[in-house]
Amino acid sequence: MALGKEQMKLLYRNLVRADHFDKMMMNRIMQGKLIGFYHPGDGAMAAGVGASTFLGDDDILNPHHRAHGLGYAAGRGVDIGRYLAEHTGKVDGCCGGRSSFHWSFPEKKMYGASGFIGWHFCPVVGWGWASKRKGNQMVLMASGDGSYGQGGAHEAMLFAMNWKLPIVFFCENNGMAIHSTISDMHPMPDISSLAQGYGMPAVVIDGQDVFAVAETVMAARKHALAGKGPTFVEAKTLRLREHDVGTPDLARAEPREAAYLEELKKRDPVVLATSRVLAEKVLTQKQIDKIYKDAKAEVEQVEKFADDSPVAQPSIEELLAGVYVA
Amino acid sequence: MSEVRELPLVEAIKEAYRQEMERDESVFMVGQDIAGGIFPHTKGLVEQFGTDRIVDTPLAELGMYGTAFGAAMEGFRPIVDFMFAGFFLNAASPILAQTAQFRFIHGSQMSLPMVITGACGAGMRLGNEHAMLVHNMIAQVPGIKVCMPSTPYDAKGMMIAAIRDDNPVAFIWHLGTMMDRGPVPEEPYVVPLGVADVKREGSDVTLVANGFQYKNAGIVADRLAGEISVEIIDPRSFSPLDIDTILKSLEKTGRLVVVDESWESRSTASEIAAQVVDRGFDLLDAPIRRVTIPNMPLPGGHMEPYVAPNPDAIEAAVRDVCR
Repeated sequence: MALGKEQMKLLYRNLVRADHFDKMMMNRIMQGKLIGFYHPGDGAMAAGVGASTFLGDDDILNPHHRAHGLGYAAGRGVDIGRYLAEHTGKVDGCCGGRSSFHWSFPEKKMYGASGFIGWHFCPVVGWGWASKRKGNQMVLMASGDGSYGQGGAHEAMLFAMNWKLPIVFFCENNGMAIHSTISDMHPMPDISSLAQGYGMPAVVIDGQDVFAVAETVMAARKHALAGKGPTFVEAKTLRLREHDVGTPDLARAEPREAAYLEELKKRDPVVLATSRVLAEKVLTQKQIDKIYKDAKAEVEQVEKFADDSPVAQPSIEELLAGVYVA
Repeated sequence: MSEVRELPLVEAIKEAYRQEMERDESVFMVGQDIAGGIFPHTKGLVEQFGTDRIVDTPLAELGMYGTAFGAAMEGFRPIVDFMFAGFFLNAASPILAQTAQFRFIHGSQMSLPMVITGACGAGMRLGNEHAMLVHNMIAQVPGIKVCMPSTPYDAKGMMIAAIRDDNPVAFIWHLGTMMDRGPVPEEPYVVPLGVADVKREGSDVTLVANGFQYKNAGIVADRLAGEISVEIIDPRSFSPLDIDTILKSLEKTGRLVVVDESWESRSTASEIAAQVVDRGFDLLDAPIRRVTIPNMPLPGGHMEPYVAPNPDAIEAAVRDVCR
């Protein structure tokens, strides 16, 4: 499924935006201007942008936890001002400041994160079941290689394949879970090999290539909407930074080597996408400069919105009123 | 006046399922072997509603529960049947950490209208996991309602209330009440959740009990008739808990015994006792007594009848507070 020039431009723009947002979050947590953790997505923002930019409005989107779903949020058109306000505990936060970094955006059919990695393997079955009943929507279920250690992952694949549910299992495989490496934690290097046991079509792609990701996910989405059932897309990606800002960057107990990290940086998806859009004359350098300028301005605007919003400190009575539907 | 028809409790539950599924297309059931009907309460439903709405799953509680949990986010009103309520522990994480708390944590934007159900209870010698009453574990977490019926009438009305409720509701029923017969009107009706019921009026002691223990409470009240006048209150819901009805009864009796088929510590009996001391200390003429399972796993074999609450233990507690 070849991409048109306009589609490539949109992907490029969303990638640059997502990259700026991720760097904004890293800066802010270093400055003490974020609540909770931040798990940086530096060097791995292409997968989320590519997977989410061309989904339908009715599709359900579960973002990957890394970068707190920013690549997916940027691709989906989530209001990043309200996203950041939530991460700073403000009244304009998308969940009224209650979720810390486990944000949701139900109006965009992003139903929220949990602190339990792999939690989404449970509701994804129902998202798929409901999507099949409705017939005009599918589920993009993103998660990392680490989450496939959860037993629920296998239940989800079993149910999805059994019932031919319209789900794309989209795995961002960066080869690491906190300090553990995939070679220590999984018997096979490709997580998608798990899908074979369920007879689920699976493909491994370069998760650093935002265009390849978008093409593959669009094809998988078409497969799902045609009633052909789930597919597994494994996007090989990388992790330039530590698991979360503030913890040491280790592989097992050893620091990752500087030379190795320098090599990884050559695979930065923004670098790769820029050379491609220039080489294929999709964008000029001048247009790229404008995209960067706009992204910078959007970051400023987003930060101002969140910083200007008052801290959310509702009374206990107001909070109690929100526990149950009256 | 025509007599109200009598049904066993399981048939009352099934009638609630049937009538609500006929009324509302978004209601469906998911569970293991519910099409075949391992218990009579789902038997025959698949013939009427098909496998799209009576959904059997593999033996995988996370996936099974997830079918309901995710569909509820998408506007369906699922009933997820764990067969035995204790099996909910295989999906405790999404129930307690997410389903119950999601609405609040995510800014009270979403509702999760779903019913989580299963049978339980001592007396059948099925071993601790099948027997385990899990109402207190669930009721500990805000955001989910928890109830258990004692009579066929309440079973139908509370199940209909649970299905229509926009919150997640854990509806637990006791195996010892499964075939109990009682009057059940044919038309759909609602027994509101969070409202206790004075099932038998009395003046000397307030005896709180429900499910199978409601029957034991009745046995004790009969035994003591003419000697001690027992008022039996069925809380019906554990969360929200209707403490006002209990306090009102205590204005008359001044004495309280709470039966709870659960461990003594941190049980609903403990919660009721704490709330009564908090709000009704001056109403009490005697210490509160709890009749519960002692703090040990429920043994199987021949030990259930004397380890679980039973008429003798309840009678002893009632006599104790009435000395």
